[in-house]
Amino acid sequence: MNSIIRLVNRNITISLNPGFLIWQIIFPLIYIFIVGFAYAPLIQNVPFGVKDLGYPAFLASGMIGFNIMNSTLVSGIIIWNDRRHGMFEQIMSGPFTRSHYILSNICTIGIIGLVSASLIALVGYPVFFESVEFSLITIPVIVFGAITGSILFGSLASIISTRLRSSEGFNVIINTVFLFFAFVSSAFYPADNVPEPLRTAFYLNPLTYLVDVIRAGIFGNITQFVIIEMLILVGIASVLFVIASKLLTKLDF
Amino acid sequence: MSCIDVTHLSKSYGSIKAVDDIVLSVKPGQVFGFLGPNGAGKSTTIKLLTTLIPPSNGSLTILGVDAIKNPLEIRHKIGVVLQQPSYEPTLSVEKSLDKYGMMWNVPKNERKKRMEQLLKDFDLVKIRKKRNEDLSIGQRRRVQVAREFMHDMDLLFLDEPTVGLDPSARRKLLDYLKNKVKTGLTIFYTTHILTEAEYLCDEIAIIDKGKIITVDSPEALKNKFGKEKTIKIHLLEKTPKISNLLEGIPDCKINFESGTNIVIHSEQSELVLLKILKILNDNNIEIEDLSAIPINLEEIFLKMVRKN
Ligand SMILES: Nc1ncnc2c1ncn2[C@@H]1O[C@H](COP(=O)(O)OP(=O)(O)OP(=O)(O)O)[C@@H](O)[C@H]1O
Ligand SMILES: [Mg+2]
Repeated sequence: MNSIIRLVNRNITISLNPGFLIWQIIFPLIYIFIVGFAYAPLIQNVPFGVKDLGYPAFLASGMIGFNIMNSTLVSGIIIWNDRRHGMFEQIMSGPFTRSHYILSNICTIGIIGLVSASLIALVGYPVFFESVEFSLITIPVIVFGAITGSILFGSLASIISTRLRSSEGFNVIINTVFLFFAFVSSAFYPADNVPEPLRTAFYLNPLTYLVDVIRAGIFGNITQFVIIEMLILVGIASVLFVIASKLLTKLDF
Repeated sequence: MSCIDVTHLSKSYGSIKAVDDIVLSVKPGQVFGFLGPNGAGKSTTIKLLTTLIPPSNGSLTILGVDAIKNPLEIRHKIGVVLQQPSYEPTLSVEKSLDKYGMMWNVPKNERKKRMEQLLKDFDLVKIRKKRNEDLSIGQRRRVQVAREFMHDMDLLFLDEPTVGLDPSARRKLLDYLKNKVKTGLTIFYTTHILTEAEYLCDEIAIIDKGKIITVDSPEALKNKFGKEKTIKIHLLEKTPKISNLLEGIPDCKINFESGTNIVIHSEQSELVLLKILKILNDNNIEIEDLSAIPINLEEIFLKMVRKN
């Protein structure tokens, strides 16, 4: 356990650079406050369960899931950098095992994901506070969503990082995949309003499930459908995690 | 008890036998030099000994622990500087030393103390605030080697640590290592710079094509092969007939590099030299320069590898 904490400490130290913080905080703020209010006149109230949400509130809650996804890119970047700059091999020659390395990455993603989610929730709060309905059930749902989502996207980024050696390839692929996830999801617009086949595409995208779960948690609207979405999230996250661990275990020097 | 005990160790990559049935035993408190040309299998051997990769065959015991059954236990007791550079690009030099110590569970106060000392010992004080990605190759290498001394260890593996270092940094590192050995550290050191091995190592193994060709002390190696000396004579004037004159001198090999340079290899160098000087004298051929060089490790090395 101690070994994992030490690796997490190191992971967080190397990830916390100004570029990353700007990416994590400024970027979502721009979305919430500029895009949110600019589009509000275009997209009027979004029906959500029994209540209607203003677009800024809808978007701000979506940004939490979006931010969790973005922050987990970190795990891919850590793995990719460690391999490129020889640290993976160096760590593996020290008092650590591959399981330590994998678990420490997962913990790092979880922590960064949770912190990102809380930050956005905090700054977004003024925007959605009118409709918020926290309860003993909804808060665990949000935390559950944040952690499962972190593992899901973190594993995906890890898988991509183990497959690609060149920095161009890594950046292009990871940005394309994540951009696709971001815009073909219910983070920015409600799935119910989009035309088919786009609507189906929304539901082929794990970010939609993550955003739906977190939104349901924030606005206290946990339906049967949301529970199914939670199960789907766990399923995808587990499969991707197993694949990522397998690939990391097999990585050779 | 040996620090490293290896029997019939092999590692194959497909059809390539990177390490081919080697046997090794390294005594504690010494520097063991591992010499070989490019692709000989030095780095592969280090990766096997440090449990980074599993062997295809054979057994290895490091510090009394079976490396196949208990790799983690071994990794707690060893230090490794691999041939490949390794660094955290965005961390400063001092931060990367500190974080490395942290990863090895060195207490904070102790870390601080060691870091300051290492920054001095490795000439890193001026660049302590610089980010690793902004360092020169040699500076980065120095940080990489220094970093390994942030934690305690019984056995240190160094894979060509002086590559990229200037002569003074190189000498400083070798002296630093010599001092560490005096305090009880054992070092496994690969290089293809033979003067380095001669200066540092107590014992030397030469490996080629995955096989160990010889293991001995530098002195013993030189004695075994070192009766041979090289004599170089530089004549004052070009003398084309010189090859005819010196023909027939026994027990030596003579190269006439041009009309003025003569290089003689012989195990009976004194006798041969006397004969040559007499001939030159008899023919009124003047000498500008003469030198006799005892064989060095480099030549032994080249000879052995060529023979192999
Ligand atoms: N991961 C690998 N996959 C395939 N072949 C490998 C691998 N690693 C090493 N080899 C091969 O094994 C042989 C020994 O390589 P090794 O790196 O041990 O040489 P070396 O003695 O360290 O050489 P150098 O002085 O250049 O560092 C080489 O033929 C090399 O091509
Ligand atoms: Mg090598």
